Amino acid sequence: MKVFRAHILVCGGTGCKATGSEVIHPALVQEVARRGLSKEVLIVETGCNGFCAAGPIMVVYPEGVFYQKVAVADVPEIIEEHIVKGRPVERLMYHEPVTEKPIPHIHDIPFFGKQVLIALKNRGLIDAEKIDEYIARDGYLGAAKALFEMTPEKVIAEMTTSGLRGRGGGGFPTGMKWSFARKAEGDVKYILCNADEGDPGAFMDRSLLEADPHAVLEGMIIAGYAIGARHGYIYCRAEYPLAIKRLNIAIDQARDYGLLGENILGSSYSLDIDIYQGAGAFVCGEETALMASIEGKRGMPRPRPPFPAQKGLWGKPSVLNNVETFANVPQIIIKGGDWFASMGTKTSKGTKVFALTGAINNVGLVEVPMGTPIGDIIFDIGGGIPDGKQFKAAQLGGPSGGCVPASGLNTPTDYEEISKLGAIMGSGGLIVMDEDTCMVDTARFFMEFCQEESCGKCTPCREGTKRMLEILERICHGEGQHGDIEMLEELAASIKDSALCGLGQTAPNPVLSTLRYFRHEYEAHIYDKKCPACVCSGMFKSPCQHGCPIEMDIPGYIALVRANRLDDAYRLMKRTNPFPAVCGRICPQFCAAKCRRSQLDESMAIAWLKRYVTDNARRPRVEPAPVTRTEKIAVIGAGPAGLTAAQDLAKRGYQVTVFEELPFAGGMLRYGIPEYRLSRTVIQAEVDDIVALGVELKTGCRVGRDIDFAQLKADYDCIVLATGAHKSWTLDVEGENLAGVWGAAEFLREVNLGKQAKVGNMVAVIGGGNTAIDAARTAIRLGARDVTILYRREKKDMPAWANEIEAAEAEGVKIECLVNPVKFTGTAGKLTGIVCQRMRLGEFDKSGRRKAVPVEGSQFTLAVDSAIPAISQSGDMSFIPAEAAVQMTKNGTFALVPKAKTATTAAGIFAAGDAVLGPATVVEAIAMGHQAAGEVDGFIREKNSEPPYKAPPEEPIAIPFEVDKEPRVTPRGKMPELTQQERIASFKEVELGYPADIAWAEACRCQRCDGCEHE
Amino acid sequence: MAKLTVDDLKKIKERVLMEDQFRSGQKRAKITVHMGTCGIASGARDIMDALLDELAQNNVSDVLVTTSGCIGICSREPLVTIEEQGKEPIVYEYLTQAKMRQIFRQHILGGKIQSEFVMARGREQDGRGGDR
Repeated sequence: MKVFRAHILVCGGTGCKATGSEVIHPALVQEVARRGLSKEVLIVETGCNGFCAAGPIMVVYPEGVFYQKVAVADVPEIIEEHIVKGRPVERLMYHEPVTEKPIPHIHDIPFFGKQVLIALKNRGLIDAEKIDEYIARDGYLGAAKALFEMTPEKVIAEMTTSGLRGRGGGGFPTGMKWSFARKAEGDVKYILCNADEGDPGAFMDRSLLEADPHAVLEGMIIAGYAIGARHGYIYCRAEYPLAIKRLNIAIDQARDYGLLGENILGSSYSLDIDIYQGAGAFVCGEETALMASIEGKRGMPRPRPPFPAQKGLWGKPSVLNNVETFANVPQIIIKGGDWFASMGTKTSKGTKVFALTGAINNVGLVEVPMGTPIGDIIFDIGGGIPDGKQFKAAQLGGPSGGCVPASGLNTPTDYEEISKLGAIMGSGGLIVMDEDTCMVDTARFFMEFCQEESCGKCTPCREGTKRMLEILERICHGEGQHGDIEMLEELAASIKDSALCGLGQTAPNPVLSTLRYFRHEYEAHIYDKKCPACVCSGMFKSPCQHGCPIEMDIPGYIALVRANRLDDAYRLMKRTNPFPAVCGRICPQFCAAKCRRSQLDESMAIAWLKRYVTDNARRPRVEPAPVTRTEKIAVIGAGPAGLTAAQDLAKRGYQVTVFEELPFAGGMLRYGIPEYRLSRTVIQAEVDDIVALGVELKTGCRVGRDIDFAQLKADYDCIVLATGAHKSWTLDVEGENLAGVWGAAEFLREVNLGKQAKVGNMVAVIGGGNTAIDAARTAIRLGARDVTILYRREKKDMPAWANEIEAAEAEGVKIECLVNPVKFTGTAGKLTGIVCQRMRLGEFDKSGRRKAVPVEGSQFTLAVDSAIPAISQSGDMSFIPAEAAVQMTKNGTFALVPKAKTATTAAGIFAAGDAVLGPATVVEAIAMGHQAAGEVDGFIREKNSEPPYKAPPEEPIAIPFEVDKEPRVTPRGKMPELTQQERIASFKEVELGYPADIAWAEACRCQRCDGCEHE
Repeated sequence: MAKLTVDDLKKIKERVLMEDQFRSGQKRAKITVHMGTCGIASGARDIMDALLDELAQNNVSDVLVTTSGCIGICSREPLVTIEEQGKEPIVYEYLTQAKMRQIFRQHILGGKIQSEFVMARGREQDGRGGDR
């Protein structure tokens, strides 16, 4: 064996190649040869080091020196210095942080780095109870400048120049408000501060008053001087004790220093300020009600005009501004209106403080320049949504505001732009809601708030909000009726038009805005009696069961596992699911996403328990269903949707024939999903049960080729189209017809047909979904040396399941993110490479994820001999003639009749599964199969004037109720798996199924949200 | 107290900057416990108690302890900022009494930054934000 004195390892991973390692390798070889060192130094290309950010990287042994970001120009130096002279090149070396993890600078943390502080400039820096600390940070210099260097008119002009608008939510120009009061007749005027912060989720004012009370006092002095007020009040709610305490201290200290009282700072201007504690009525945030409250009257609004600038507190001209507005004033006076106006948008200047709450990682207070997109606040500053959940909406402006859905994330924080969305800037409460939020329930919450806070003075608000609340409560209890939505809209319109004050006029906003963006959720509650977010608990027994498209009795069969009654569990599952063994392996588990156990530790392993039952229960023998009806039904496509429909129709007494083009039944289960995830015998056993009912299965028979569609229409009473989505989308780039490029669906079908699919050595799979992962893991098993998934967004955005991604990586699949193919290249008609482009994340798309946009000049070529696009699939609908009058959507799926679940535009023809939904999941296909059977049966019975179908009574299964009294944190039971070597060498099922002890322990984790024994 | 004039404001500013025991070098470190409502609700008073107890137990008199309001990131409260002469401030997050005691012993007395509890170094307003 040859011995080399040095080894140079050059990373040949895709990441490093993209940054230039491909040219470094030959340069090294050349340089080593030039110096006659070829016999002493071995140059090796290695796989990815996982340190792509610092690429191209290389490691020189025996020292193990790690070089990063190496350029071709560095090669001679490395050879000369390191190899020849034995001196590692310091400047290219990467230094591991030795003892401590690196500490980020506060500006490098997006939460802080993207903020600009004006109103909050002293936060966290000064002791709020020490006036000297405020003065030391240029406190009261703004007041001094205004009093000694500026006339009141000049102060107002400066405010007008600044473009500052009311931060309480109304957004009225501050300078204009002050000038009205300045011009108003009268010796006695008042300057008032609105600290009656009451929106749910808003805490800007409280935090500001606690951290920097003098800033507010100084703003009031300047404002008072501008309008000519000699007295001021701060109206602060009593439930802010710390804010009031610090304000009182601040006022005492300011008086002591002569900053409040007679002749402030020796000037001729005098002002004193008192605190008025509000009792916490929301309506007192409305200016006329607030003034009534200070006057000692009941806090109720009065009609305007006259406006407070003319007749305010005690009938005197008054200016009321919000806490944040005042905190901006001293800075504007010191630095000038132009400085302030240099930040923000055309109509919204300066910065805005937001209180970030709800489903967000960084709960807190942020101040950003106006114009910052809402999405940047939520995802960059706020750190996004916890636990990998999806963003649903953000509520802005509290009960007077509205929600901003994912499609509004690019909207800049600008008064006018936000109102276009149907929301308002508001005082700055920003409540983030994720997929687990029900928008109807949200609307109900805000309506309940407004209803409780309505002062009762005017009828539209007092009665109207009550009626709206009653309707919303009914909907949330599953008692919604036809016409409810329309009634809500009608009430909302009349309340908006006729209520006396802002509270009433804006109270319908949360309802209107949720109706605008989430009408489908209202409809699901009213018509389907479903709460899609599984929140409205009045509508269901347990969230998991409600979240399941076929509403399997999940707590029921888990209880039976705990009771070790597996045969009963199996029977229970089969009631709703003809494919429990299949779902036990590959169900996407909408149920687990709603599992309440996740609030304690991890969600239940629902599918794995289901699999445990099907692995171990005795399967009852299926008897043929008696044919009690004369009608015949044809089902086209033997996938989960078609077979479910066939099963249900057979049970209802129909003669059913299923036509299937491919040699075996199962559809995508068999020809899409690889065998290592779902064994063929498992599929076949469940198909056999359906055939045993008496369903006729004709495989190898393609409608339109082997039998005419018109013939089918003549021979059968109804037809169910369940033909799936088996055609891969193309990328629409050059070179896609080269040999070596094939769609993932076609590739997987070829493999699953048992044909010898030849995959190359260097395989690239394009896409980020489960199909991409399936194709990649299949390619590994077929012997590909190097399999890379190219995905255009970030890894966290991949739609594939996390455990699938993990398994693929464990098997050696590489995942390259932020990469997009632009061209396939080849020679002699055969694929040799993919020209790719680096991507970066840009604006938000409609799904709430950031769009991937190309990075200019970042193209690189990846050498591959196979490429598998796996971006999406559609159906092949060529079998159906135009005369059939079955309309299609623009996405190439079957179009349905409005309000129907499966009825197409042609009478007697129904459609289900991926052929309607596009590529979806097995459990959704099963759900549609059930619906199709119901609609087919209903259609026939209605035609015959028969009464609707009544399911025969089923043999009862008693479900016991047993839960751990004190649940302890216990992680989910681990699934035993094949070893790494066993996996990649064959297509054997990777997951082996739970043994009895793990399954029992897992079943005991269920907290039984259904809450009782049942049948 | 005599009423201030504009000149007095500048004098106070200078005096505060001069007399500040930390800035003037009389104290070698300054510990700020952030005590807005959010901090207090998350346990900032307990942190303060532990800190004062450590100061007393260890007879430390060259460290200044002070309070301040919320720095904005309420979800990581309780937060404490530690400044040492000539070094960048260090902000600790998610504190407990035990962590505070460890930080006091290891960082204030032992000079070793407890990086596993650190949120960030530096001060938010340095040359940025409102001061720019």
